[in-house]
Amino acid sequence: MDLQSQSAETFTIYSLSEYAVTLEFDQQIATQTLDKIVRFNALLHQRPFDGFETTVPAYATLSIFFDPIQVMRSSGLRGVNCFQRVSDYLRGLRYAPGSATYPHGDTLTIPVCYGGDFGPDLDEVASRNGLTPAEVIQQHSAALYRVYLIGFTPGFPYLGGLPEQLATPRKQTPRPSISRGSVGIAGKQTGIYPQDTPGGWQIIGRTPLSLFNVANRPPALLKAGDQVIFQPIPPEQFEFNRKADADTDR
Amino acid sequence: MMSTLQDKGRHAYLSQGVPVSGAMDTLSARIANQALGNDPHAAVIEFTYGGAVFHAVTDLLIAYSGDGASLEVESQHLPPDRPIFVPGGTEIRLADTSKGCYTYLAVAGGWNIPEVLESRSTYMPAGIGGLQGRALRRGDVLQAADATSAMTKQLFGRLTGGAVNYPKWGIARWLLLPANRKVICVIPAQEFTWFEGLSVVNFLSDSFRITTQSNRMGYRMEGPPIRNYAKRELLSTAVVPGTIQVTGDGNLILLMADSQTTGGYPRIAQVVAVHMPLCAQLRPGDEIYFKEISRNDAEKLYVQQEKLLKRLSVSWGMNERIGY
Repeated sequence: MDLQSQSAETFTIYSLSEYAVTLEFDQQIATQTLDKIVRFNALLHQRPFDGFETTVPAYATLSIFFDPIQVMRSSGLRGVNCFQRVSDYLRGLRYAPGSATYPHGDTLTIPVCYGGDFGPDLDEVASRNGLTPAEVIQQHSAALYRVYLIGFTPGFPYLGGLPEQLATPRKQTPRPSISRGSVGIAGKQTGIYPQDTPGGWQIIGRTPLSLFNVANRPPALLKAGDQVIFQPIPPEQFEFNRKADADTDR
Repeated sequence: MMSTLQDKGRHAYLSQGVPVSGAMDTLSARIANQALGNDPHAAVIEFTYGGAVFHAVTDLLIAYSGDGASLEVESQHLPPDRPIFVPGGTEIRLADTSKGCYTYLAVAGGWNIPEVLESRSTYMPAGIGGLQGRALRRGDVLQAADATSAMTKQLFGRLTGGAVNYPKWGIARWLLLPANRKVICVIPAQEFTWFEGLSVVNFLSDSFRITTQSNRMGYRMEGPPIRNYAKRELLSTAVVPGTIQVTGDGNLILLMADSQTTGGYPRIAQVVAVHMPLCAQLRPGDEIYFKEISRNDAEKLYVQQEKLLKRLSVSWGMNERIGY
């Protein structure tokens, strides 16, 4: 049995720019793909190459940023240009022996006050899916979600794992402003708005937690690979939690 | 017009959904700093077009670069790309030019503002960085940081006096830019083959016009429709400044400094890094052409540019930190 090829991830590599390449692991959204990306990302951070800067995980890709000058200067990388040098290194990294301990994502419980002013689209999501608002809350807070990527705005998590019965298309017309902490649904995804921004997702509730804080390291509460559970809370507790969160921010 | 503080950008938090931001025209921002012996990535003020007026409270050593405006003191034109001594009490105006969009003002030592996530760049949509995360307003007071290099001190000593003073020489910014600034070199992007043959031909031969729906996040462009025959959906993946996306109705969006970190529109091409400063200086109504070059050639241009920038500084006797 060939242990090496068994542990090797399969991906294709393409150029994103002079200073970045993208590894494509798959062409669909799947938890196995997410796991591969999270693992390879952790491995690369443990064993960076000369000139490595940062990565951006997404649904089926991991993009890798570097300083072209340092990559070309490196005596440890092989190839006539940056793309060859970085690609060669990344292909080799797949076979890194004993590639250590992969961090599992963390599991976070996010309190959400559903409906009312906090979730103006709760009734629409319910009626479109032939459910009562209470059933929507029950199903949304019973599921276990995975963070696939952080994008759109600083700290915005795209969560997979929404129960099929809750899938709802985006609003016909986006709202000019959605309050920070709003929990929304778009198709089969759910997500949380970290800032007040315009947006087209169906808003079913709001969390008092701060999803993005420049004083924290990392600044985003969630990262690709994390697991998320939503816990329903009453409006009184929303105010209480928000104050507590604001205090810890300082 | 909008003015913000910017530096080389915020590169370490892309995985957190934080855009790079930074100067739209990174080359001009760097030259303004290099003309003063500053760290090439010190914070500068990015002015959009002309119109701004500022008042030097104390004696200042400044430099500016870019195509959005020219600096004037009592209708005397001040030349770009070189150190300029300005005595306290002077009022400096930015006069419109018809050449471009952004102008960068550097001060000896760099503008003194706190870093947020390791950068001084302003990202207004999330209120991050710069001066309280916002654009500059009338009445704001900015100070120079106390981080002047030996070179800067020497320049200050040589130019200081009772009147506006500057040397006859400057950094030759034009050496770093192509003669024809309306031809933008691109590398085909990953979804290049998703588009119809005729659309690809049009993309690489017709002109595209910058529309008024353009800002620091990106430019919407007008031109022949680009048809995606694959009709495939792209899963959101990393995009960068310079990525050219094609929307569902066949229009192009060129992503700029405040670009989102991920996007789901198919990408037809990537503007080569050394041509991003040209794109930054485009105004609504300007027409450009795209020309395909290889990734390898784009990389060579990037390395050449870094070498040339280094030489320009070395010829100034400066302590260079970029190096190659």
